Amino acid sequence: MQPENLSNREPEFKNMEKDTIILGVIGADCHSVGNKILELFFTAEGFKVVNLGVMVSQQEFINAAIETNAKAILVSSLYGHGEIDCQGFRDLCLEKGLDRILLYVGGNLVVGKTPFEIVEEKFKKMGFDRVFPPDVDLKKAAELLKQDIKARFGSDSHGPRNDDQAGQPEKSSPETDAGTSKARNPKAG
Amino acid sequence: MIKNEKLDLKEFYEIRKEVLQTWPTGQNVSIEEGIKLHRTIPEERRFAWVMKKAREKRQTLLQPRAGVALIEDHIKLLRYLETEGQADLLPTTIDAYTRQNRYEEAEKGIEKSKQAGTSLLNGFPAVNHGVEGCRRVVESVSRPLQVRHGTPDARLLAEITLAAGFTSFEGGGISYNIPYAKRVPVEKSIRDWQYVDRLVGLYEENGIRINREPFGPLTGTLVPPCIAIAIGIIEGLLAIRQGVRSITLGYGQGGNIIQDVAAITALRELAEEYFRQEGFDDFELTTVFHQWMGGFPEDEAKAFSVIALGAIVARFSGAEKVIVKSPHEAMGIPTKEANAQGLRATRQAINMVEDQVIFKPEDLKSEVELIKAEVRSLMHKIYEIGQGDVAAGTVAAFEAGLLDVPFAPSIYNHGKIIPMRDNEGFIRIFNKGNLPLPEEIMAYHRQRLQERAQAEGRAISFEMVTDDIYAISKGKLVGRPK
Repeated sequence: MQPENLSNREPEFKNMEKDTIILGVIGADCHSVGNKILELFFTAEGFKVVNLGVMVSQQEFINAAIETNAKAILVSSLYGHGEIDCQGFRDLCLEKGLDRILLYVGGNLVVGKTPFEIVEEKFKKMGFDRVFPPDVDLKKAAELLKQDIKARFGSDSHGPRNDDQAGQPEKSSPETDAGTSKARNPKAG
Repeated sequence: MIKNEKLDLKEFYEIRKEVLQTWPTGQNVSIEEGIKLHRTIPEERRFAWVMKKAREKRQTLLQPRAGVALIEDHIKLLRYLETEGQADLLPTTIDAYTRQNRYEEAEKGIEKSKQAGTSLLNGFPAVNHGVEGCRRVVESVSRPLQVRHGTPDARLLAEITLAAGFTSFEGGGISYNIPYAKRVPVEKSIRDWQYVDRLVGLYEENGIRINREPFGPLTGTLVPPCIAIAIGIIEGLLAIRQGVRSITLGYGQGGNIIQDVAAITALRELAEEYFRQEGFDDFELTTVFHQWMGGFPEDEAKAFSVIALGAIVARFSGAEKVIVKSPHEAMGIPTKEANAQGLRATRQAINMVEDQVIFKPEDLKSEVELIKAEVRSLMHKIYEIGQGDVAAGTVAAFEAGLLDVPFAPSIYNHGKIIPMRDNEGFIRIFNKGNLPLPEEIMAYHRQRLQERAQAEGRAISFEMVTDDIYAISKGKLVGRPK
């Protein structure tokens, strides 16, 4: 049962051009478990996932987005430095000519237990389109992403159509939380 | 080719010159001053001494994780954990920038934390604070203090914190690379940790015993006991070779009580065996049990239950130390209050089972024997391809996937093995990748997994793995289908 098995569901999307999304864990963060699961999940959801893995800089995210003509960048942060690591991300996107890209962020984004509304406001001010808590239902996040891509990119978006999604096997989504998954590497030795 | 040989002192001092130049606070670090300082530290504040006593008295000591950006705040935090949390041993958890040697970013984090009036770093940037700053922390607490981190190249961090009077240092060339880094070759991290261990050996030669603790839990995610134990033994061997004498080997709670107790038993007995086999007999070996390192429930009441189970199993396993989680675990870094709550919950649970013995070694025998057989297969192969040398063997083993840590971020790790829980929650291996495990052992693993598949009415699949990873945060040990 290799991870590749999840791609058994892919053929239905094979003939369509998929929307590319960039995935990665920002900064000096090495939490790799959720990242691996997100890759499998969004691939199964019909996206072309470019997973940069852990410890990714803003510049690396942006370079990958430019190279692959990505529609969205999904930033994960689990270790508390998200607030520092994400500052200026939107500005750098604009500076590099990525003026339409969707920016999502999720995880344990700040140090200390903080009401999610405050975290969300903070990151929206920084220019993120959507902010997710660590226990987000991935299925919902994927729906939002499809909607947002459609709204922002309109006709040049070629995401999987709704009828395709309905055709998916029932248990296709790993019933996980985790915009960035709480199951993760230990953050402290 | 790297060898498990004692680092030559001349070479050590040559490397040291370079290491100390990597950040301004390194410039005046003096081992001699450090030795002098350590001589003034009373026994009850020395980690090695306290761990040894715990073994003699059959105690299970409690230690939290904690660290914030600024010195004064960090001192307040540790004092709180000492008084309100009644921690037996104290940590200084290092921030993630420092762990990657990104001291400039740590500096920014310090500045921004000052401006924000709260820590924006997830730990204490010890290198930036330097020997003086670290010494203030050491002098402000009355319990033994350990550096806890996740640093592939911890040479400067070790120089600074040991010179400042820290008496224990966590980590190792495998356990602080594979789960904590992306692009650090195993050979490089082993070499850099030989330096750290040689430094500890140098203190030892001057009568100062520093405790060393390889990081047992690795990725904290469905790690089969044999992998964690083999790596712990290897790091123990590497440390002792450089002159380390006080060594605490760790293991992270897997979730099945019998498997966890068996794992600590096997770890203790096999480490002793392999250390002696390489010709060492002058060492102080202790063990540490880490409460659940995977995803936690958000509900604090449920989190306390996870913490309490970890406390109880730690006690039954006979580990001399337990690393304690907090009810804020699902949300990230805990407040000092939540951290102290975790300690108090742990204390209560341990106290209640302290005098009970329900797991006798003979009850656990078959599981202990299974784990031992697995570890021996791994170690045998490592020695074989290293032509008798465990360091060379380890590097080659990672290259070939003969050692493989599930879900690790490092590109030098194969990441091919697939672990999942059996019907009773034991962590079993479905796909062994290239692990040199005998066919009869694998057949047993698969048989146990097949029992689960049957019970759940589904085929063994990767979904089981993701279900298992999130199971505890959702309230169960085994990730059953809805």
